[in-house]
Amino acid sequence: MDLISILATVILITTVGTMVVGVGAYAAFKLRDKRKPSSGRFDETMNVDGPLEPVFLTRYVPGSTAEPEPEPVSDER
Amino acid sequence: MEIRRVGRNAWRYGWAALAVGGIVLLLAVSYDAVQDSKGSFLVLLQNYVLAAITYYLLFFLVLLVVRFGMLILYSFMDHLESLYKVRSKDAVRYREDSSLPMVSLVVPAYNEGPVIQAAMRALLALDYPNYEILVIDDGSTDDTYEKAMVVARETVGVEVRVITKRNGGKADALNTGMALARGEFVLNMDGDTKLSPNSLRACIRHFENSKVGAVAGNVKVINRENLLTRIQALEYVEGLAMARKAQSFGRVVNIIPGPLGMFRKSVLQQVGGYDRDTFAEDCDLTLKLLMRGWHIEYEPAAVAWVETPSRLQDLIKQRYRWTRGILQATKKHSHVLWQPRKAGINCYILWYMLFEGVMWPFSNLLGNLFFVFVGLQYGLATLLFYWWLQLTVLDVVAAAYCVVIEEEEPSLIFFAIMFRLFYINIIDVSKVFATIDEWRGQAMTWGKLEREGKL
Repeated sequence: MDLISILATVILITTVGTMVVGVGAYAAFKLRDKRKPSSGRFDETMNVDGPLEPVFLTRYVPGSTAEPEPEPVSDER
Repeated sequence: MEIRRVGRNAWRYGWAALAVGGIVLLLAVSYDAVQDSKGSFLVLLQNYVLAAITYYLLFFLVLLVVRFGMLILYSFMDHLESLYKVRSKDAVRYREDSSLPMVSLVVPAYNEGPVIQAAMRALLALDYPNYEILVIDDGSTDDTYEKAMVVARETVGVEVRVITKRNGGKADALNTGMALARGEFVLNMDGDTKLSPNSLRACIRHFENSKVGAVAGNVKVINRENLLTRIQALEYVEGLAMARKAQSFGRVVNIIPGPLGMFRKSVLQQVGGYDRDTFAEDCDLTLKLLMRGWHIEYEPAAVAWVETPSRLQDLIKQRYRWTRGILQATKKHSHVLWQPRKAGINCYILWYMLFEGVMWPFSNLLGNLFFVFVGLQYGLATLLFYWWLQLTVLDVVAAAYCVVIEEEEPSLIFFAIMFRLFYINIIDVSKVFATIDEWRGQAMTWGKLEREGKL
């Protein structure tokens, strides 16, 4: 195999390879371009006027959520 | 509306049908000959197609060589002219600072947080006595406005104004800047651009000629960090030192680049500023100026350093948008294509843009596919090699000339081989797809590139 044939083979492989990469890169670009975040769930507070009270992140106080201890029952009969 | 759309589609697909019809007609005419020789229609069709492509590629090659020759000739003449001007007009160069007109620098910025401060600080170091900076924050969702305000507050000596507005696109931001500019001249640039200190002085001297409406600056790549960005650096050098310089000799630069373009404010107002109906607002504005008869020159000494895409996906996105934008701008002024006597050189400019935007990438890909087919089918891979070699020789000659003219790194010449070997096929594929998408009228988005803050 002479030098020209070797170079021709290299160019052939490179040409086919780069064209495949080009098509692949374009396809990836189109796929990425089409992807959009899905629209979020309907926000129920959207039309509420006035200041909104936060409904989450309530401060945690140890023991505050524990069941209250039962009142001692007096035995006065 | 629906009828118009159907009519437009009929016109588009009509051409395709005409081409197929032509081939069928040719086969029908050859029917007797094939019957007589007991040959195959498939072989006949293949021969016809291969012969047609061969003649077309020869024609394309001639066009390419003529183009290279003319561009090098005219760009060299422009180079000689600019050298003569520099030597003969010392009085202009050393003119009193007090006589220099005011220039307003308009910096549109959308999510340019990583680079805006560096860009603004570079602007404050410009060597010019009379200018102001207007940063137009186009409704950024990052901290662009806050970062720009930090620089504006700490600045003394140069007036810096930061204006924030609802997001409306780059054209809208530039129009806002134009409306608020106080200078007689407006320099439009990108938020991710760093200007060379002499940019304003270099550009302003062109306006001594009252026919000049705008000046296009030189654009160079700052992030030469990998193969992709180095090849782009060479691509920019070639595009500007050869094509732009040659056009400048005729005063018909066809694209004032977004990173650096200086305009007479009155001219911008006359043409109604930037339109928002294309994705290449800089190209569209340039064509509007040319159609009105304004001269546009190129100034190689005014350099805008820009960050180019370092990843393949970003590069494809950028080139896709450029291709469709340029096609949209060309389409807007397409009436000129058929009026060579009335439009003069503008007609030539538009045909040249179509050659570069459509014919070149299509022919490149067609040539490669043709020679790959011939190589695999008939074992003539050497033909592909010689096709590749003659294009590479043209590229290397052009690269060597441009590197010398631009006084660039000599190592860039090596990347001319890489350009032909790896780069141009990938770019041409995206250009061809972009052209097809534009032809089919597919929707597209702006496609903001992520900045890496390399300035």
